[in-house]
Amino acid sequence: MVFTLDWFNGLDLVFEAIGFLVAMLIAAYSWRVYQVSMESRFKYFSLAFLLVSLSLLIKVITSSAVYFTEVRLLADAIARPVFGPERQFSLLFYNAGFFLEMASLLGGWLLIFFISQRSRGRLRKYYELSQMALFVYLVLLISWIANFNKTWFYLTGAVLLSLVVLNYYKNYLNNGNKNTSQIMVAFLLVLLGHLAFVFLEWVPGLYAVGQVLQLAGFITLLYTYMRIIR
Amino acid sequence: MGSRRSRLELIFDILLAIQNKGGRIKPTHLMYKSNLSHKLLNSYLEELIGKELVLIQEEQVKKKQAPNKMVVITEKGLGFLAEFRRMREFTDAFGL
Repeated sequence: MVFTLDWFNGLDLVFEAIGFLVAMLIAAYSWRVYQVSMESRFKYFSLAFLLVSLSLLIKVITSSAVYFTEVRLLADAIARPVFGPERQFSLLFYNAGFFLEMASLLGGWLLIFFISQRSRGRLRKYYELSQMALFVYLVLLISWIANFNKTWFYLTGAVLLSLVVLNYYKNYLNNGNKNTSQIMVAFLLVLLGHLAFVFLEWVPGLYAVGQVLQLAGFITLLYTYMRIIR
Repeated sequence: MGSRRSRLELIFDILLAIQNKGGRIKPTHLMYKSNLSHKLLNSYLEELIGKELVLIQEEQVKKKQAPNKMVVITEKGLGFLAEFRRMREFTDAFGL
């Protein structure tokens, strides 16, 4: 199920590719900090942004196959030996792609929510790990259910992002750091994008609005990141 | 009471203490400046020497006395200090 508008075809791919690059950049820098400090929170933060970038990459690949005939024919030629001559397994693989896209994005937001809670050693504590395991189960369940109706995916993403924004607001009140406030704004923009996607079934035009808001969020993240490491 | 310093913060504090003393400092002074135990400081120093961020120099003050040991920050160490500042900014900004 693709919600895009005809005039917007292709532009969303560019927007998501930019989001993918920004998420990869933050994941790589967090991994670098992990290699220096050997503290697990940086490893998990890197993993979180890697999951976000993986999701965006899958979206770019699957959307390309829908928009462009050449990509679709190429994908068909590659997939035929796997799907069978009648492509009887194509729906299964199509749903598996969607599942992976949703599970990785929700998993990424979930990890960012846990890490942004500012509690030392939180990921080493057993009870918090069990809490995480429960959330991971729910994320997988929602990703499966959302294959039938994508609204659930965007709604869950919006709930997780609301919690992330709230954590960054609390962090900003604690440290008064301008960069923290910019990161809060970045996640707020991505959250507004997700909220626009929630109503896609009723107002298809919101697809462009959601994409622009999401892009603005990733660009704000990039701007803050560049300010920090310059 | 302040919260426990992370490993990254400890390394940063050690390198900063050396830089603030003009790039060279006595191990005992470093121990007080970085607020670390003798054992912990030695284990961190070993690691920093291994990574070529600091080096130990022996300095002859008086002819009949044993030479003084000095901890000296290297060019790589100064570069890392700048990088650490960025990492700390990243850590603070992202609430890590």
